[in-house]
Amino acid sequence: MKKIGIPRGMLYYEYFPIWKDFFEGIGFEVISSNRTNKEIMDRGILYSVDEACLPVKIIHGHVDFLKDKVDFLFIPKIMSIYKREYCCPKIIGLAEMIRNSLDDLPEILDVVYDFNKRRGPEKAYKEIAKTLGVTERQSSRSLKKADKGMDRLLDWLKSDILPDNYAYRKDFKDLLLLGHSYILFDDFINMKVVEKLIDKDINVHFPEDISDDIARKYSNFTKKRMFWTHGRRIIGASNYVIMNHKVDGIIYLSSFGCGLDSVFTHMVSRQAAKYGIPFMNLTLDEQTGEAGINTRLEAFLDMMKWRDSHKDHISSFR
Amino acid sequence: MGIDVGSVSTNLVLIDEQDNLVYKSYLRTQGRPLDILKKGIKEISDQYGEYKIAGVGATGSGRYLASVLVGADVVKNEITCHAVAALANNPEVKTIIEIGGQDSKIIIIEDGIVVDFAMNTVCAAGTGSFLDRQALRLNMEISEFGRIALNSSNPVRIAGRCAVFAESDMIHKQQLGHNQEDIVKGLCDALVRNYLSNVGKGKTIKSPILFQGGVAANEGIRESFKMELGEEIYVPRNFDVMGAIGAAILSREEVSSKGYTRFKGTDIYKQEYKVKPIDCNGCSNLCEILEIRENDEVLARYGDKCGKWSL
Repeated sequence: MKKIGIPRGMLYYEYFPIWKDFFEGIGFEVISSNRTNKEIMDRGILYSVDEACLPVKIIHGHVDFLKDKVDFLFIPKIMSIYKREYCCPKIIGLAEMIRNSLDDLPEILDVVYDFNKRRGPEKAYKEIAKTLGVTERQSSRSLKKADKGMDRLLDWLKSDILPDNYAYRKDFKDLLLLGHSYILFDDFINMKVVEKLIDKDINVHFPEDISDDIARKYSNFTKKRMFWTHGRRIIGASNYVIMNHKVDGIIYLSSFGCGLDSVFTHMVSRQAAKYGIPFMNLTLDEQTGEAGINTRLEAFLDMMKWRDSHKDHISSFR
Repeated sequence: MGIDVGSVSTNLVLIDEQDNLVYKSYLRTQGRPLDILKKGIKEISDQYGEYKIAGVGATGSGRYLASVLVGADVVKNEITCHAVAALANNPEVKTIIEIGGQDSKIIIIEDGIVVDFAMNTVCAAGTGSFLDRQALRLNMEISEFGRIALNSSNPVRIAGRCAVFAESDMIHKQQLGHNQEDIVKGLCDALVRNYLSNVGKGKTIKSPILFQGGVAANEGIRESFKMELGEEIYVPRNFDVMGAIGAAILSREEVSSKGYTRFKGTDIYKQEYKVKPIDCNGCSNLCEILEIRENDEVLARYGDKCGKWSL
């Protein structure tokens, strides 16, 4: 059986279950790289362009890990997922960046997803089928079977990605962890922030926990139309929990040098301040010393608890 | 007793039951926190050996190290400790500006509660270490740095956004022939501007404002803050050891509810401590683990990602 490699980085954390089911459905073996570690990060930094953000550098390391183990690499060009909306330029150009930075790569399946040009998944997957020598019928049947929506993603995140101690507990404080999926769910980049918060008796919520409809509705409360799909999710989810007082605090994990994050952190911090919800932004980069992150986390949680005794404190009604 | 092991200074204080400061020492960490901590404890042992220390609190970036060594009752982050100490100093305080060796913070307080705070991001421009470096380069004592700045009548404009650019800008201005005091004052202004637009961004700064941390000793920076904010800036008498005072107060509270202390006694300075780095090759994370031994007994191990080594 031929092998398809899917690097564990960027949109892997949003689409891996569906990609895996699809490729297995048309008779291929799917291999993904190991969890990010120091070696993968170091190799990624070595091979990628210097100006890229850390997650982009890290996916280069994942590709390097996979390249000798597979027959094809799947790195789609995801231009746009909704009409009149776009993805980050680095997500769009990922396949090209990798192709130019790494040598001796297997064939890259870099089909284009572009809803603006009516190139939805059906068309994209049809193209993949053609390259791989699979019939159109087989591919569309496999796609139909693979697509099980957000529930499948959440189940997969809970069983395969999130730390073992992840569970909702009633008497814990609630915190929304914001940021791109490839930062929230890669515990090497975020220095195990999720695990640390749970150990400190916090219920951690993610933008992915909020349904697409709610996120879309609440993202409309910004002055201008949000044309980044991933931004819509982040802003929509944060607006929803802030305006309904669903959480006791918000932490944004941003990536140093991310253009989208530089805009969103401000939008969220202003909205949080307006509704009196504690907000903190943690900027992540190549540093592996955890002292700075730990200090900020501890101080933030102290503040959340301290605020409980404040006379103007508005408790969450969850 | 309160211990604050920071990147640049290691501070120890003793307080009495009414939170009055009895003793303080401000030592340079010099990259050897263990030795300096032992030195500090020895001084306390020599001067206050006959007194009983009721409890110990540790803070600062080296708080876990300090806690392992002395047996601390409370291990708290610097923000909480600084806020506690500031509130003990002035219960009315609304804003705390704290600038230390490696980081700078702003803490906003309402009705005696921390409601907001911010710390510098990955960049350490404008903190004590940078001022130290510049003082060294200009061949002046850091303690005189502030006073020299006050002599300036016409400060030059220095780019304060980034320490690297600030330094090249300073050199450029110096080669043009500007007075040293004008350059020094220009740097103070730039750092304050950078602090307010970076750490203090989006925060409403209300008075009374307390300025603490090692950099509060610098009159030039103090003056620049006063000019920029148009408010009086209060520097508490023990501005340089506020973190340690906060840790001591928290340990007093903790011990009075717990009823006993974990403190190992002032004799610990006589013990032999060894730190051994271990490079773990168990997986591709290649963690750097530190093992601390007291005589031949392993006190603590940390630094691993998987928990295989941690004690």
